[in-house]
This record gives sequence, structure tokens and C-alpha cells, in this order.
Amino acid sequence: MSADPDPKEDARTVSDISTRSEQRRARDRDARPTAPVPSAAQAAPGRAGHTIALEKLSAYYGETRAVRDVDLTYAANQVTAMIGPSGCGKSTLVRCINRMHEEIPGARAEGKVTLDDVDIYDSSIDVTMVRRVIGMVFQKPNPFPTMSIFDNVAAGLRLSGVRGVDLRERVEWALRAAGLWDEVKDRLGAPGISLSGGQQQRLCIARTIAVEPEVVLMDEPASALDPIATLKIEDLVHELKERFTIVIVTHNMQQAARVAATTAFMLNGELIEHGPTDKIFSNPNDSRTEDYITGKFG
Amino acid sequence: MADHHNTRQHFRDELRRLEEGTLGGLDIIREQMDRTLEALEHQDVELAEMIMLDDDRVDGRYLEINQGILSLLALQAPVASDLRLVAALLHVIKHVERMGDQCVNIAKLIPLSGHEPPVREDIKGLVLRMGRAARSEVLQSRAAFATRDVELAADLSRQDREVNVLNREVFRLAIHAGDDPDTREWAMHQTMIARAIERIGDNAVDIGEQVVFVVSGLFREFPTSTAPAI
Repeated sequence: MSADPDPKEDARTVSDISTRSEQRRARDRDARPTAPVPSAAQAAPGRAGHTIALEKLSAYYGETRAVRDVDLTYAANQVTAMIGPSGCGKSTLVRCINRMHEEIPGARAEGKVTLDDVDIYDSSIDVTMVRRVIGMVFQKPNPFPTMSIFDNVAAGLRLSGVRGVDLRERVEWALRAAGLWDEVKDRLGAPGISLSGGQQQRLCIARTIAVEPEVVLMDEPASALDPIATLKIEDLVHELKERFTIVIVTHNMQQAARVAATTAFMLNGELIEHGPTDKIFSNPNDSRTEDYITGKFG
Repeated sequence: MADHHNTRQHFRDELRRLEEGTLGGLDIIREQMDRTLEALEHQDVELAEMIMLDDDRVDGRYLEINQGILSLLALQAPVASDLRLVAALLHVIKHVERMGDQCVNIAKLIPLSGHEPPVREDIKGLVLRMGRAARSEVLQSRAAFATRDVELAADLSRQDREVNVLNREVFRLAIHAGDDPDTREWAMHQTMIARAIERIGDNAVDIGEQVVFVVSGLFREFPTSTAPAI
């Protein structure tokens, strides 16, 4: 992950991500109707998607290698599901995509992760910017406990230093896109933790997308939710892919089958198989994929 | 990777039970075909009646397997090779039901000629040969499915071509069955019986195609599996 010596390549780093994001936001603002946006799917149609590519990605916890030489491209505006048994490295891999993995003491990543053509591990890249353009939703809803619903969504904007936006308008847009607006519009000042688990998770999704990332990573976003709340999150994922490239880690194979266009199966840190979800679930190429999804080992 | 071959044991037991029940349906068809051929050979009107009554067994098996598969899909969400097997069993049990109906179609034609019909031995010989060949196809389709033998399944289309040739030959002879109205009517019935037997052969070939699907995930129609329209 050394810096590319080509000066032209150098130029396309932080400022590039930043500039493109600003341009895109300006474009989206123009495209966004002044009336409240009814759904994420209708906002800013036709915007270009963003592709994530992993090249020979390995991740370590100290000497332990949790992810081994993974080459994988996440197609723009598509949902890709990461499946595999506990400890296979799928969550670690996803945490390498927005450079969260390195926050753990002794942890490091090797290889290359590019967002479009920008190497996000380049030494000139600002990690904060990486995490703004590559947002993440976690397994357990984690709203800021002392903050109101409104402030929870606005927090992402404030923390990432987004300036020059109408905070109210953006919070409303994010809550609508997260499918939560109608349920909370009359109590935006209520504490975020007063919401149900499913609502809290959609609040966290609103917080993530409020800063208008390009990629949304979801690590088991529905595993702590009941079936109805789960289906709401899944519907939301379908809408969000119109705007974002989505990577979702899930233990629930039916969930992968329902939401993802492509599915990647990992085992013991290696990527075993990656392909169209219907192919993976009807006729996988690799016998290890077959054994895992049919429950022959678990 | 730890092996846990006992995972989903209930699901595996149920899937195995459904496959056994489906292939057992083909065993019922074999019995029905044995009776049908015997009834044809001896113009046995009473046996033909039994064949019609016994079709309830075939229909009952169809309903039982069909319901079992629906439940399995609803409760167990099978995937990959399990899903392909479940989908194939749905096809196979439908073919079983159709083959049973063809035996009934033949059985219904037998009494129409009365107890002493004017028999043309050359036509009758060909029809019985067809019947034995189709019966052999049914047995082979069962064996191919049970052992997931793609070669054996593909060989069904070769056997079925012979049945198709015999079918056309029966038709040709029936056209030239002479001027006697009773003989011509009997011969016409024989073409209908031959057609029903030919359809049983087609169903067996279709089961063979399902074997290929279960094994490879690919559906390919075997060549010349159906007879040209006559």
C-alpha cells in the first residue's frame, strides 16, 4: 500500500475524493426536489455508482492472518452479500474496506483497496475522509444515547465536518431515505434510544447516509432485529442501492438470497466463491460453498 | 472446517423420504404397465377395470409427494443441490401421475373392442413390443435417478427413438388395415394405445433430463425425445 510514484496518480488522492464528493453533493442537491423526497430511490436518479476493488487483500491480528489474499470487486450500485461461518474473516475483510480494522491494536492490512481508482490506503489519504465516503452500519444499533433523534442523524454531518448544508433539510432527507421519517417526524427531539430496536437501526442507517457516502458497509445489520424489522431493513437496502454501493455481511443465508445481487462465500480467511446470488444458491461451483449453504457443516 | 454430518438431520430424512416416495411412484407405474400389457395381450376387460380403479393409488402418491415438497420448501428453504433435487422431484412425480393417466387411457380403450375383437397380429405384436420397451424405459429412468447416473439417463433417448419408430409403424399398418369397419376401428384404437405408450416413453426421457439437472444444474433436452407429430 505504498504511495504510487506517478505524480498524476498522486494528484488523485484525498483532494480528489473530496472534490468529487463535493461535486456530487452539489449535483445531488440540484437534482433533489425542494419538496421532501419520498424515497431514496427517487432521489438523484442516474448518478454514477462507485466501485470498490480489493487486490490481494490480507488482514492480520498480530501474527494471525484472518483474511488471505482476497481479490474481489464490488460492483457499483449493487448489493453484495458476504457469507461464511463465524471466524471466516468476512467482518474483518469488510472493516478493511473503510480502514476500521487498523484501529484494533496490532491489527494491520496488506494489499490494495481502491474506491474507483483511488487507493484508500495511500499514505496521503485522510482516514476520516475514507470513513465518510465509505460508511458503516453495525450489528447492534448504536445511537448516541444522550442525543435526540435529530441530533443522532445530524451528528454524522457535524462529526465529519460537512459545511454549507441545511442541517434540517439533510436530516429529513436521511430519515426519509432510511424509511423512518413518518414514524419520528413529530418527535425529533425525543432521545434516539427511545425508539424500538428496528427503528434505532434505521436511525443509524440515516446517520450513516446523511453524510452521503459512496459506499455503505453493513455488518449483520438485522441480526438483532425481529423478522418484521428485518424485512424493513432489507426493503431499505433495495432502495439504498440506487444511490450507494452496498456490502452486507450476514449470517442469514436467506437474507443474502433476498437482498444481494451477488454473493461472496469466505472460509478460513479465503474467498472461496463469488458470483450471482441465484447461481450461488442453486448451483455453486465449489463443493465447500455447497456444503456450507446446505448445512452439511456449520 | 469441522464436519457435522448430523446437521439438518430432520431435513435430510424428510428429503430422502420424499425421493423414496417419488421413485416408489415409478414402481406403481411399473405394476400398472405390467397389468396394462397383460390386459392388452389377452383382451382382459376385467383387468382393464382394475387398472382404472388403481389409478387412485398413483394420484394419491402424487398428492402426498406434492404436499410434502411444498412443506419442505416452506419450512426448510432448501438450496443448491438440495433445491435442485426438490425441484426435480416435483417434475418426476408429475411425470409419474401422467404415466398413470396414460395407463388409464389404454385401459379405457380395451373394452371398446369387445371380448372378441378382430385382431391383426402384426399390429398387436408391435404394440406389445412398444409396451415392453416403454416399461423398460420407466425402469431405467428410475435406476438413473436413484443412482444419479447421467449416462444411463442419456441412454433413455436412444431407447425412446425405438419406441417412436414402432409408434409410426403401428400407425402405418393401421392405415392399411383393410376394408372391414370392425377391423379398422380396432386398428384405430391400437394407434391410440400406441400413442399413449409413446407418451409414457417421453415421460421417462423427461425424468432422465431431471437426472442431468440434479447432477449438473443444467437443463438440456435430450435429442429426439419426442415423436414427430403424426
